[in-house]
Amino acid sequence: MERSWWWKAVLYGVVTVTACLYLIPTVVPEAKQPALIKKYFQKRIQLGLDLQGGLHLVYEVNVDKAVSGKVDRLSTDIEDRLRKDKGITDVNVVREGRDDIVFTFKPPADQAKLDEAILRDYRKSVDLIERKPDTGVVRLRLDPDQVEEVRDYALRQGIETIRGRVDKFGVAEPTIIKKGTDIIVELPGLKSADFERIKSIIGRTAQLEFKMVDDGSEYMRRLAATVPKDSGIEVVPESWTEKDSGKQHEDVYLRSKNRDALKKFFDEQTGALAVPPDHEIGYEENQGRNEAGEATPDKYWRTFYLHKRASLTGEYLSNADQTWDQQTGRPEVSFEFDRQGAAISERMTGDNIGRKMAILLDDKITSAPVIEGRIGARGRITLGSFGDPFQLQQEAKDLVAVLRSGALPAPLRKTFETQVGPTMGRDSVEKAKFSMYVGAAAVILFMLIYYRFSGLIANIAMILNLLFMIAILAAFEASLTLPGIAGLVLTIGMAVDANIIIYERIREELRMGKSPRTAVDSGFARAFWTVFDAHVTNFVAGVVLYSYGSGPIRGFAVTLLVGIITNLFTSYWLSHWMFDALVGRRGAARATLSI
Amino acid sequence: MAAQNKEQKFFEVIKPHSTYEFIGNQKYWIGLSIILVALTFIMLPLNAYVFKSRGHMLNWGVDFRGGTELMIEFSKPIDSGELRKVLAQSGHENADVVRYADPSGKNKNNYMIRLAAVSVVSENQAKQIHESLAKEGDASLKKFEWSEGGDKIYLRYDKPVDPTSLGNSLKAIGIHTTQVQPFGRADENTYEVTLVGIDTDVRRALDAHFGAGAVAAIPQVESVGAKAGKQLQYDGIRSLLYAILLIMVYIAFRFDFRYGPGTVVALLHDAVISIGAFAVTYKEFSLTTVAAVLTIIGFSMNDTIVVFDRIRENAARLRDRRFDRVVNQSINETLSRTIWTSATVFFVTLAMNIFGVGVIRDFAFAMNVGVVVGTYSSIFIASPILIWLNDKYLASQRRQQSKPERNARRKRDELEPGEV
Repeated sequence: MERSWWWKAVLYGVVTVTACLYLIPTVVPEAKQPALIKKYFQKRIQLGLDLQGGLHLVYEVNVDKAVSGKVDRLSTDIEDRLRKDKGITDVNVVREGRDDIVFTFKPPADQAKLDEAILRDYRKSVDLIERKPDTGVVRLRLDPDQVEEVRDYALRQGIETIRGRVDKFGVAEPTIIKKGTDIIVELPGLKSADFERIKSIIGRTAQLEFKMVDDGSEYMRRLAATVPKDSGIEVVPESWTEKDSGKQHEDVYLRSKNRDALKKFFDEQTGALAVPPDHEIGYEENQGRNEAGEATPDKYWRTFYLHKRASLTGEYLSNADQTWDQQTGRPEVSFEFDRQGAAISERMTGDNIGRKMAILLDDKITSAPVIEGRIGARGRITLGSFGDPFQLQQEAKDLVAVLRSGALPAPLRKTFETQVGPTMGRDSVEKAKFSMYVGAAAVILFMLIYYRFSGLIANIAMILNLLFMIAILAAFEASLTLPGIAGLVLTIGMAVDANIIIYERIREELRMGKSPRTAVDSGFARAFWTVFDAHVTNFVAGVVLYSYGSGPIRGFAVTLLVGIITNLFTSYWLSHWMFDALVGRRGAARATLSI
Repeated sequence: MAAQNKEQKFFEVIKPHSTYEFIGNQKYWIGLSIILVALTFIMLPLNAYVFKSRGHMLNWGVDFRGGTELMIEFSKPIDSGELRKVLAQSGHENADVVRYADPSGKNKNNYMIRLAAVSVVSENQAKQIHESLAKEGDASLKKFEWSEGGDKIYLRYDKPVDPTSLGNSLKAIGIHTTQVQPFGRADENTYEVTLVGIDTDVRRALDAHFGAGAVAAIPQVESVGAKAGKQLQYDGIRSLLYAILLIMVYIAFRFDFRYGPGTVVALLHDAVISIGAFAVTYKEFSLTTVAAVLTIIGFSMNDTIVVFDRIRENAARLRDRRFDRVVNQSINETLSRTIWTSATVFFVTLAMNIFGVGVIRDFAFAMNVGVVVGTYSSIFIASPILIWLNDKYLASQRRQQSKPERNARRKRDELEPGEV
C-alpha cells in the first residue's frame, strides 16, 4: 500500500471510533455504559416532541396592543402635565390609530402651551407631527424607535414570563424561542394529564410584587447554624454599607444549586425553626462568580428572608425603562409608579432605606436591589457594579420586560398547538424502524446483486454513513422527530446513489479497456463533480427547508443536511480508499474488478 | 491486460450502447407532461367547487387550514354518524370524522376528528357572552374583548366585580373556564377569562353522550389559528420558489446559462405533478408534504445533473455532431445511472409508504411520486429545453458569423443522418 493510504486508514479509523463513542450513550442503556463513556460522552440524541410526547405551542404576542398601551400612558402623562403645570382645563386628548395622540385645545390659542418645555421631556418618545394654531389641534406620534423598542420589550416580556412559569412547573428541557412576533414553546415529555394545566399557567398574566427583605434577622442566624454540612446547602454571610449614612448591614443566606433542596430544607423545619407566619422565603437564581468577579458557568439559588406582605404590586406601576447611570455610565432600570403607587412606595422605601427590596415575578425573585433613597413616583434599580456592561444591559432589559409586564399587558394569543401522547410516538417509531429495515435490506441486496463486491463496499459506506450521521446528531444533542426518521431512511436510499454514479463510470472505463487501477482512479475523478453538484443541490433544498420549517420539519431538515455532508465523505472519499485497497499496489494490480 | 478486461462481464439490466430514441420522440413525452400538469390545474378547482365531498383544492392539513385535529380513542365501538351528530350538537358542524387504524393495529375504535374551531367559543357564543354579561351585580360591562380563535376573553367593568361570581355566570350559559382573574391595573377593573381547551370540551361532550369513560384517550391534538395557517401556506410557496431559484443559480454558475432554465422548468414540473398527485388522491396535504416536495426538488436535480454533466462532456468531445444527437446519446449513456439512483430511493420510500404510519406515510407517498416524476423530467423536460435554448443561442451566434461559414455548417447539419 502507498503511504498515504495508511495515513487515511488511521484518519478514517479515528473518525469511526469517535463516532462509535458518541453513539454509545444513545444506544446502550445507562446502567451498562463504561465509566469512560459516562464521563466524557454523555450527549445523546433526544427524542423529538412528536416521538416522546409533549406539547408544542405557538403564541402570538399582541405587540400592537403594547404599543397602543404605551401611547395611552403617554397621553395621560402629557395631559396631566398640561393641567398641572400650565393650568389648562379644556383639552380633548384622543389616541388615533396605534401611534398618534391628538390634542384639541379650547380655546385654540392654548395649543401654544404644549410648548418646547413639555415636549423636551418627551422628545425621546414622541415626535411633533403637526400643529394647527387656528383649530387648536396638535398631533404627536410615537417615535418609530420607541415603537420598535416597545414591541421588542413586549416579546421579551412574553418569553421571560413563559420561561418563569414553565420552570416553576418543572418541565425538563423546555424550549422557548422567539420567531418573528411569535413565541414557540416546546415541552417534551409532558404527561397528557398536565397539558390543560400548563396551558392555563402559561397563558396567565404576570403577577409582579415588591417585598421587603428582613435582613439581619435572628431567625436566619439561628437556622443557618442548623444546616448540615454535606446537604449541598451552603451558608453564606453577606454585608453591605448604606450609601449615605455609612451604616453597616449584615445578613446570612443559604444557597444551593438545587432549588428543591432549599425548599425541602425550609419545609421540614418545625417548631421554633419553622418559617414565621408573617415571613416567607424567596428564591433567586444567580450566576456563579469567582473571586475576580467573573461569571462562571455554575448557577445557584439563594434565599431571601422576606416580609410576607406585598404592599406594592405591578398594578401600581405605570412605566419602566432601561436607562444609564449618570455617574458610572452603567445600565440601570428606572421605573414609575402611578399616583397611588407613588404614595405607598414613598412610605415603604422611606422606612427601609439601606435594606433590600425584592422584586418578585410569579413568586420568583428577579432582583433584590438595596434601597438607596426614598423612592416616590420614580425609582431606579442598579444592577451591581461588576460584569460585562453588555450583559448588564441585557439583564436590565430583561428586568424592564418583567417590570412592564405588570403595567404593559401585551396579551398572548395561542395560534398553534400540537399535543402528542407518548404512546402515539412509541408506536410510530416501531413502524418507522421496521420500514427502515425493509428499505435498507432492499438497497443492500440490490447493491450486492448488481455490483457484487463493489456493492459490498457501497453498503459498508452506507452503513458507516448512518453511523456518522447518528453520531453527529448525538454530538449536537439534536432531537429526532418522526420526519427526522423519514430523513434517516431516505438517506439510506440516497447514500448509495453516489456510488452508483461512480461505479457506472468505472464500468465505462473498464469497457474501454482500462486496467482496474486506472479505471477506478479515473472513474472517481470524473464522477467527482457530478456527485458534488448533486450533493450541493440537495443541500440547498435542505437549507431552505430548515429556514422554512419549525418543530418536526426542522428535525427532518437537520437529518437531511447532516446526511448530505457525511454522505459525500463516505460515498466518495471513504469508498475510494476502500477501492484503493481492492485494486492494489501499482506493481501488483488486480486484473479484474468485481463491479 | 487490456484483453482480459474486455472479457469482463457486468450484471447489467440496461445494456451499454443502447440507442433508445428520447429526443426524437420528445413531443409525445412533453405532451404527456402537459397533460399531467393540466390535470393538476383542472383537479384543483374541481376539488374545490365541483366535488361536494372534497370542498378544498387540496386536502389541507390543519396546519394550513386552521382548526383543530383530534385523535380520539374510544373504549367501545362508536358509530361515525352518531359521532358527527354529537359534535354538531356541541357546536361543531361539518366536522370531518375519519376512522383510523392506530399504529399498533389493536384498537379499532379510533377516530380522527377535524373541527373548524380553534377555541371553545364560537363567534355566536361570543356575542351571547357579551350580552349576558353586560351586567354583573351592579357593575356594567364597558369593554368586551375577544379575538376569534383566542383562548381568552377580557372583560372590563366600571366597578370591581368578584371573579368567582363572574366564572359562575359564564358557567350558567355553558361556557367552561379554567380561570377568571383580575387583569392589569387595579383601577381598570379588567378581568381575564381563560377558557378550557377544545379537547377538554369535546371530551366532555362525548362522555356525556356515550357514557362516562367512552373516550379512552386523546393521544394527539393539533390546533392552528386561521391566520397562522395562511402564513404557513404563504411561507411554503415562498420556500419552494426560493429553493428553485437558488438551485437554478447554482446550475447556471456550474454549467452555463443555457442549462439553468431547463432545470427550473423540470423542478416546477416535478413540484406541480407531485402536488397534483395529492389533488387526485385527496390525501392530506400538510407541512410534511411541503417538506417532501422540497426534498423532491433537491433530489430530482441529481438525475438532471448526471445527464447534463454527460451532455457537456460529450458536446465538447463531439463538436461536429448535431446537439440534439449528442443529448440523446448522453441520455442513453447515463440511463443506467439515472434509473438505478432513483430506484434505490424508490425502494426505501416505498417501504416507508407500505409500513409507515401517519406523517411518514404521507411523506413517502409524495416521495414515491416525486422520484418517478423527477427522473422522467430530467430526460424529457430538462434536456429538450436545453436543446431548444442551445439552438436559439447558436442561432444568434451564427447570425454574427460570416455567411459562407453558416451555409457550410447548415449543409453539414442537413447531411447528418439521424443516427446516434
